[in-house]
Amino acid sequence: MAALQCSVITPEARAFEGPAEFVAIPAHDGEIGILPRRAPLVAKLGAGRLRLRAAGGDEQSWFIDGGFAQVIDNKVVVLTQKALRPDQIDPSKATEQLAAARSLPANDEVALKRKAAAEASARAQLRIAGR
Amino acid sequence: MAKARAIIKRRKAVQNIRKITRTMQLIATARFQAAYNRATATKPYTERITELVEQLSRGAGDIEHPLLRVNTESRRSVLIVITSNRGLCGGYNAAILRSALDHLRDREHAGETVDLHVLGRKGTGFFRFLNRPMAVARSGFEDKPLFDDVNDIAQQMMEAYERRQINSVHVTFMRFISTAVQRVTTLQLLPIERPAAGDGAARAGEVQYEFTPPAPELLAELLPETVRVRLFQCFTDAAVSEQVARMVAMKAATDAAGDMVRSLTQQYNRARQSQITLELLDIVSGAEAIK
Repeated sequence: MAALQCSVITPEARAFEGPAEFVAIPAHDGEIGILPRRAPLVAKLGAGRLRLRAAGGDEQSWFIDGGFAQVIDNKVVVLTQKALRPDQIDPSKATEQLAAARSLPANDEVALKRKAAAEASARAQLRIAGR
Repeated sequence: MAKARAIIKRRKAVQNIRKITRTMQLIATARFQAAYNRATATKPYTERITELVEQLSRGAGDIEHPLLRVNTESRRSVLIVITSNRGLCGGYNAAILRSALDHLRDREHAGETVDLHVLGRKGTGFFRFLNRPMAVARSGFEDKPLFDDVNDIAQQMMEAYERRQINSVHVTFMRFISTAVQRVTTLQLLPIERPAAGDGAARAGEVQYEFTPPAPELLAELLPETVRVRLFQCFTDAAVSEQVARMVAMKAATDAAGDMVRSLTQQYNRARQSQITLELLDIVSGAEAIK
């Protein structure tokens, strides 16, 4: 079975590039698992964990803060503003972020959306760092 | 001897300056490498995002988005000027500021109010000298622009645009084309120029993507991203161009100092020679007189 070619790209660098046999991306409405020979897909991402299993079975994961994913011809391209390894997450900072997000106003639709996104991002960081 | 000694002193000073400019050239070269690597690191991201937008707009047909709509209600626009914090980089800042002033004049002739957002100490100093009020004057950006910082600026701009407080956002910066060519560019950040959906006669074998959320919604999310990315690219380009400009300026200074050392050495040798001749003449004529 052909392997997936996965790359994780942020504006500042290429965070990861390599083969994988399974990738799970945190889409805006839930996780999407991708196996080789998947139909072409473009998805909006939410804040959450990107998981990747290499051929040997060892798993890697990142915290991803929104962005987009494109799947075509066994290539998975993840475009995100932020990709952090679990050990790069600073739990105390994430806690602060969560507190800041919770005190944001939610008086109109735009503000509410921003607040929800900020909270989700902080919570996802805490969840991933917790392991 | 006085003249020869003065020349020597001067030569020493020039040699010292040459050492300094040479070091600065080397530093600029190292910084250029780093900045260049950063600039190329953003390229894949930018390209992918643009590609996605093109593919999506082909699939989505006519799209409506507040960032695409031309806003004629407001007579206020924004100009972002990216300059350097430090000098000694040749005509870098002068070129940018000249172009920014041209843009300002054009816009104001058209009866608009222009909010100036100036980044970099050199630019803020210049406009302060002209007594021109600036909406924002920042000098925090060094040669490592961070996406988060740029993101904040982009976010502000987009929000103001969506609230129809401003009718356009332009960025004046030095575009990096190659090591030999950098050009001052004024780029229109907002409104976004409509992505070319026209050539949707579909290339053969056009891929049928599965979209989540549906294409128009996805596109609405992608457009702000293109704004952010484009602005970030401006900053990384500016950082690279600044280092190139400094490299070139310092190389010229080093060369000029070298030439000067050479000509001063020549002058010194001449002065010394004429002095010796003079002294010899003294001795000989003295000896003649004793005879």
